[in-house]
Amino acid sequence: MAADNDPESEVFEITDFTTASEWERFVSRVEELLNEWKLTENYVEELSPEKGAYISGSWGEQSQDVHFADFKFYITHHFLKEECKKNGKGEEDTLPLAMQDLLCMHNDFPPRAHCLVRWYGLREFVVISPGANCEAIISESKCNLLLSSISMSLANSGCQVPIFVQIQQKWRRIYAGECQGPGVRTDFEIVHLRKVPSQYNHLSGLLDIFRSKIGCNMLPLPPVDITIRYTYILQDWQQSSWPQQPPDFDTLLGGEVGGVEFGSLPFGACEEPISELHLATTWPHLTEGIIIDNDVYSDLDPLQAPHWSVRVRTADNLQCLLGDFITEFFKLCCRKESAEEILGRGHAQEEGQENSDISSALSKLTEPAAPVPLSKLSVSSMVHSARKHIRRRRHIDESPLNVDVLNSILLYLFPDAAVEKSSGKEKITQSHFFRTSEQEKSSDNNLFLQLKSAPSDSLTYRLTLCLCMVNYSYGGLPAVTHLWQEFVLELRYRWENNYLIYGLTTGSPDLRCCLLHQKFQMLNCCIERKRGRDEARKAQERNGDGEHKASGGKASGTTTTKEPSQGKSWDSRSDSEEEFFECPSDQGEMETFQTEGEKDSSRFKAEGRLHPYNNMTLLNSTEPLYVPVTQEPAPMTEDQLEEQSEVLAKLGTSAKGTHLRAQMQSACLLSDMESFKAANPGCVLEDFVRWYSPRDYVEEEVFNEKGRTVLKGELSARMKIPGNTWVETWETARVTPARRQKRLFDDTKEAEKVLHYLVMLKPGDLACHLLPCLLHAAIVKLKHEESTENIPSVGKNIQQATSQANKLLHSVNYDYKRLEDFINQLVTMERVITEARSLKAKFAVDEEENNGETALELQKVVTSLLEEPEVVVIGAGQARIGRIIHRLFINAQRAALLSPMDEDLEPAAESRKIPDFPPPAGREILLRTCVPRPAPYSKALPQRLFCVLMKDEFRLAGAFSSDTSFF
Amino acid sequence: MDEDVLTTLKLLIIGESGVGKSSLLLRFTDDTFDPEQSATIGVDFKVKTLAIEGNKAKLAIWDTAGQERFRTLTPSYYRGAQGVILVYDVTRRDSFTKLENWLNELETYTTRNDIVKMLVGNKIDKDDREVDRNEGLKFARKHSMLFIEASAKTKDGVQCAFEELVEKILQTPGLWESDNQGQKVQLGHQEQGRGRACGGYCSIP
Repeated sequence: MAADNDPESEVFEITDFTTASEWERFVSRVEELLNEWKLTENYVEELSPEKGAYISGSWGEQSQDVHFADFKFYITHHFLKEECKKNGKGEEDTLPLAMQDLLCMHNDFPPRAHCLVRWYGLREFVVISPGANCEAIISESKCNLLLSSISMSLANSGCQVPIFVQIQQKWRRIYAGECQGPGVRTDFEIVHLRKVPSQYNHLSGLLDIFRSKIGCNMLPLPPVDITIRYTYILQDWQQSSWPQQPPDFDTLLGGEVGGVEFGSLPFGACEEPISELHLATTWPHLTEGIIIDNDVYSDLDPLQAPHWSVRVRTADNLQCLLGDFITEFFKLCCRKESAEEILGRGHAQEEGQENSDISSALSKLTEPAAPVPLSKLSVSSMVHSARKHIRRRRHIDESPLNVDVLNSILLYLFPDAAVEKSSGKEKITQSHFFRTSEQEKSSDNNLFLQLKSAPSDSLTYRLTLCLCMVNYSYGGLPAVTHLWQEFVLELRYRWENNYLIYGLTTGSPDLRCCLLHQKFQMLNCCIERKRGRDEARKAQERNGDGEHKASGGKASGTTTTKEPSQGKSWDSRSDSEEEFFECPSDQGEMETFQTEGEKDSSRFKAEGRLHPYNNMTLLNSTEPLYVPVTQEPAPMTEDQLEEQSEVLAKLGTSAKGTHLRAQMQSACLLSDMESFKAANPGCVLEDFVRWYSPRDYVEEEVFNEKGRTVLKGELSARMKIPGNTWVETWETARVTPARRQKRLFDDTKEAEKVLHYLVMLKPGDLACHLLPCLLHAAIVKLKHEESTENIPSVGKNIQQATSQANKLLHSVNYDYKRLEDFINQLVTMERVITEARSLKAKFAVDEEENNGETALELQKVVTSLLEEPEVVVIGAGQARIGRIIHRLFINAQRAALLSPMDEDLEPAAESRKIPDFPPPAGREILLRTCVPRPAPYSKALPQRLFCVLMKDEFRLAGAFSSDTSFF
Repeated sequence: MDEDVLTTLKLLIIGESGVGKSSLLLRFTDDTFDPEQSATIGVDFKVKTLAIEGNKAKLAIWDTAGQERFRTLTPSYYRGAQGVILVYDVTRRDSFTKLENWLNELETYTTRNDIVKMLVGNKIDKDDREVDRNEGLKFARKHSMLFIEASAKTKDGVQCAFEELVEKILQTPGLWESDNQGQKVQLGHQEQGRGRACGGYCSIP
């Protein structure tokens, strides 16, 4: 430090830091950090960490920037997180922990740790390395400057944790460091060469280095503890190749089954997911005499090594089909272009130009080469498709989606279009198209509700899968846009021609599904109503011809099933027989009749009766009280509902608002009242209330004049309030059966609204709307694939993922960042499953020769290989798993070294010449001893040399301690 | 005033016609009782801000018509509700026995499964009680609901019912926060081989 305070100095002496050099500032900053990180408090611990602590424990680090002049360094403290640290001053002559660790035998070759941990066995150290964008410390003087700085810092602070400086280029991983203790110090040095010098290519050479380095001139030589680890790498999997073939997209369309493949997501990796298998064979605790390893002979046979462990390296950036599909589709969600921008104006304009040369289109369609299974197609049913595609056929080259693909997809989406008209009753069996297994279905039932997607055999779900596939393999965004346009056109066609949309549950939109699904259902509602209306009108026309006009209520009994409707050919539900919602205008005759009726109720003919109600009779006559045929309330999709709620809420909470709300919603009440009046001529409000709101008709037993008890009823108090909405509405209600009322639900308008919405939907938004369905499908797929592999970690993750998706997909606005994370999780799960599959194939887990126990054992190894960094092979090379690994290496060796011709020769004789294992990819030799340095009378201190020998790397990492007491 | 509102909650009031749903609501929001409360048509709507333990919650309360015929209409408004008050009339057993139907309806139409439910037995000021308090309690326990008896006419229990319900909703994690912090799924495998540590055979990059 610049201002070394003399303890006896005067109080008023000025401490001057102004002249402090950069170097001094750096040293003091490092000291500060060491203090801040509390590395100066030395504590006693049990001598060595537990066996395996470096594997099971987790490593922590904290870092800071430090500056040396304008040069930036990172200073990082690495440490093994330990349960409890025992504090307390160590005895004066206890060696620093780091020095004790140098000799610790329990944690050699930790599978996952900083390289300094592996080389020096340290559990705690500090590294100073050049900051990002700073050049490496190459020059020797700079290097020495840094080393002296840390030496100063260590000495000043009394810190016993070693500090390293990273020198030379980063990739070379060369560190120089120092550790200081009371009267002792250890220097850490590294030698790094490109080539292994031949004289050091074996154990005996390295022992020579070690001895000369520690400068031991004692006789006899102290014993050196030797630990050796050879690592063999298996990269060639030819002999046990990965079982999965990537799907051939080209054949997808040509197959007999048409578009069946569109209905499922692909799965699996496109390449071998396991890139390498590393086998580490270790010989721990050898002494010099036990084994011989020199330039001519070696005892080190991997098969005989007492300790084996394996690890696998998975392929980086493994391309997995499911993951790719989802990721690509997810990218669509962020696109902002409109359909027109994507396809260009020309495409949109040409939609309008109709030129119906159907015959040529048909001939094209029916060409023998057509990929669509013709047996299932009928000419007539294809006409409508053809009529539309013809336009695009004229500029096939420009259309983003191949016509054949498009046809197959449309056929898959609307399988009913393929049914031959002549054999109208023949239906395509659902199971053929949607082959989800029973098991999947049951778990799936719930899933679509959780994810707010759509049932797994619904049109929406299938559309999602098709769009996803089109996006991935048939032309990306333009093709998606194209398919969507065609899809909407088909929907419009169905609306205009009264064909129900196939593959949707009937009834009002299911608000638990995604909005798009609701829209489709809404359109179906419209088609259904329109169809009912059209059929009713036709029936009435027929009736009108046969009988006299205005035969009134009788018409309702006539069914329309005999009508040769095209749509009937496949539609199993025909519940729309009721005649409904005739326009009042073309019923002039009825009107007059009706007004007459109102004058004299007894002559008024009842209309639109559904059934008598509980044997009740009207209060003012003996006629039974009839429940009228009523209009169904208007179905709504969730966005409409939202809108409606907002409107209602906006009316405020005042009495006036309440009244307005009541009036707005009384349309349905009015309609019901009118129907009721029509069905029950001569009725009064009390009659209506008795049916509609029975509790508002209070009956009491009273004695009449003859002394008999009779029931006397009246409206409840709240119904009697003058001017309440019920009374008001009753008074304005005319006598009109439901079928002649104004429609509560304007199907034409609603259908057009839906279609407009669909047409205007940007492809990006479309993808967003369908994302829940895709994630739903992906989860189902993962579940299915996992169930065959049984990987516990993945199974658990799917569970968690589902509940997470539930939250993500139910929020009003998607959080794209978190959705992306979520998708990445799905991708990871897919990868793990493919890795497990690959490993199972390699380890022959499923092979028949393995009985249950071995199979179980193998399964366990596979699971741990996936979850742990390194797996110990119990029994090393002699056990079952060891033999399998051995065989893998033999196969790879033979494949690599034998030409195919040779294989025909006697394999037994041949194989003898080939070594079972390739040359080790890496050899690690760890030498340890404890000798006095620098003089024979000094304290005996730990010395260590870690040698790494590889094809293009030679590294010696030495830690040499010396007694500083007298030097 | 809206600035210090913690959250907006959507509540529903359902039950048979004439059990006093609108009266309960009116008592809660305006602290009045109108014996001539007219029968609700469709749905009605009221707002009230309530302070619970220093947190202000804005309540948007949807009152529904109980008539059978309106049940094709009203359930559409169940969407997104965080709490529901299920009302019966203690002087009318049939309004109690029909509760099961209402629960089924809720089950079918609500969008969340963790919705907080409260059972309210109304009109305890009347003498001709038909449903015993214990029956209500038993029903509520069976269906894991909150339970209270109340009278819109005499004010008894009304304020308390709403407060309890809101408190319960605020205590239910994930039910009212706009940004649910879903727990992150972590696959151990993901982290492997990355980061600063040298993975694998040490010297192989």
